[in-house]
Amino acid sequence: MKLTREDVLKLARLSRLHLTDDEVAMYQNDISAIIDYITQLDGVDVSGLTPTYQVTGLTSQDKNATRNDEILPQVSQEELLKNVPKTEGGQIKVKRMIG
Amino acid sequence: MINQAIKNLYTATIGIECHVQLKTKSKLFASETNDSRNLDPNTAVGHVSFGMPGALPVLNEKAVELAARAAFALNTIPQKFSKFDRKHYFYPDLPKGYQISQFEEPIILGGYIAIEINGESKRIGITRAHMEEDAGKSTHPEGQDYSLVDLNRAGTPLLEIVSEPEIHSAAEARAFAKALYLQMKYADVSEADLYNGNMRFDVNVSVSKTDTLGTRTETKNLNSFKAVEKAVEYEIARQIEVLESGDDIVQETRGWDDAKQRTFSQRTKEDAHDYRYMPEPDVPPIVITDEYIAEIQSAFPTMPGELRVKLQSIGLQAAQIETLIEEPILSQFAVTLVDEDAVKARTIINWLTGEITKLVIDSKATWKEVISAKAQLLQLATMVAENKLSSTGAKELLADAIAGKNPEEVAKEKNLLQVSDEGEIEKIVSEVLADNEKAANDVKSGEVKAISFLVGQVMAKSKGQANPGLAQQIIKKHLGL
Repeated sequence: MKLTREDVLKLARLSRLHLTDDEVAMYQNDISAIIDYITQLDGVDVSGLTPTYQVTGLTSQDKNATRNDEILPQVSQEELLKNVPKTEGGQIKVKRMIG
Repeated sequence: MINQAIKNLYTATIGIECHVQLKTKSKLFASETNDSRNLDPNTAVGHVSFGMPGALPVLNEKAVELAARAAFALNTIPQKFSKFDRKHYFYPDLPKGYQISQFEEPIILGGYIAIEINGESKRIGITRAHMEEDAGKSTHPEGQDYSLVDLNRAGTPLLEIVSEPEIHSAAEARAFAKALYLQMKYADVSEADLYNGNMRFDVNVSVSKTDTLGTRTETKNLNSFKAVEKAVEYEIARQIEVLESGDDIVQETRGWDDAKQRTFSQRTKEDAHDYRYMPEPDVPPIVITDEYIAEIQSAFPTMPGELRVKLQSIGLQAAQIETLIEEPILSQFAVTLVDEDAVKARTIINWLTGEITKLVIDSKATWKEVISAKAQLLQLATMVAENKLSSTGAKELLADAIAGKNPEEVAKEKNLLQVSDEGEIEKIVSEVLADNEKAANDVKSGEVKAISFLVGQVMAKSKGQANPGLAQQIIKKHLGL
């Protein structure tokens, strides 16, 4: 199965990636190859099997894997904001979202 | 303008989605505080809600309990198995690039909300309700080319409740929103503070002249019952107008402009999101046992519907009942009064919705104090019932009774006790009749109004302590009426 140029552009848009024409052509081939590889699984008969989402074994025990409803000390605003490019008054400054 | 006859050809179909903020101390997947109302931006955020690589979410058990309790408020039981999924979209207020939600197997499926419309009750079906995390908050400074993001709200636990499209008018939409709000409040699932956005409604509206549904629009983020009603009303009228002028309805998301009382287009289907849901690998599914469900059910409080029936049983008016229902502690207290005695309950409930409400508003008492003064209030009501106290006198004693003072003693101190001793009143009546022969004769000859004058004289002579009803009876007896 070969992805169309439109398929790749749609994926890029959903991922907020800007691709050059060469990259679009490259991903058309690469992603198609990945999908073909994964599609081999379609050949396996899984009728009667429940889907496996996790292999942690944390389900279907007597107790859920939950935590108590409590507040614990967190990292400071200063530490957190070191991870973002621009700030203003303790807020994260981003490209304007609405007009 | 489209005339009513044409409007009547259309049927409106409305479905409502509501995001209810669950009343937990910490967030859905992290031990960060859930209440950032008075905090600086980005100070109620940790690695998890900030979306730092490698930070792992761990489910808050209280959120599960509250969601399970919400199931009962929606007249169903929680699902024994439910799981989380990732909903992907890029937006600056969503740091992970996906929201953890429940898509395939939510914690609640089915149920209903009962509403009353034009005196008739109707059930609006609930499709589903699922847990999910809230996003951060963005603001857009005027005249600037940037937006600001505060992630304090990111990760707040929400229950998104989705109704069936079984609502057919703006009034029904409002009634549904209000009824849902009361259920959530009584179940104590949420603070249900609308002003602070604890409940946000999205309305899906379409109109059609046939049995086939029309194209729908979704108006998002309504935070009052009035806004729900007005937005639906506006959308129905707008859509009919568009269709009548020969155009098509565009399937789109709309916003509500409260100042202009109209909806406006936000985004159309073209750039609608493609969420690419997938099972959340970091949060194990939730398994709820029968014992857990039974435990929640056994501690589940009485809901407004049942309280109304009980309050109606002592003949209260609908408006007064709704005033009580507004405040769970009030209606729950009122019902305990009904269990004591219907007559006294009515007397005290009249005080609750009248004078006592004033005392509370004027900060002269708190509802907690009122409720703990149940014995004193009952005593006060008993004194009124036994004619020891006039209703005016009783109102003067409310503040003292609420403060825990013995009403009988305070009434004595303040000289408010009524004389209901017939012998004593007889004596005063004889004196008054002797002093006011003319008035007495007027009454005899049929001028009934003059009797109030005589009663007034008795009251004056007794310094206001005579029971006026009794005084009147005795006067009539003396005058042979």
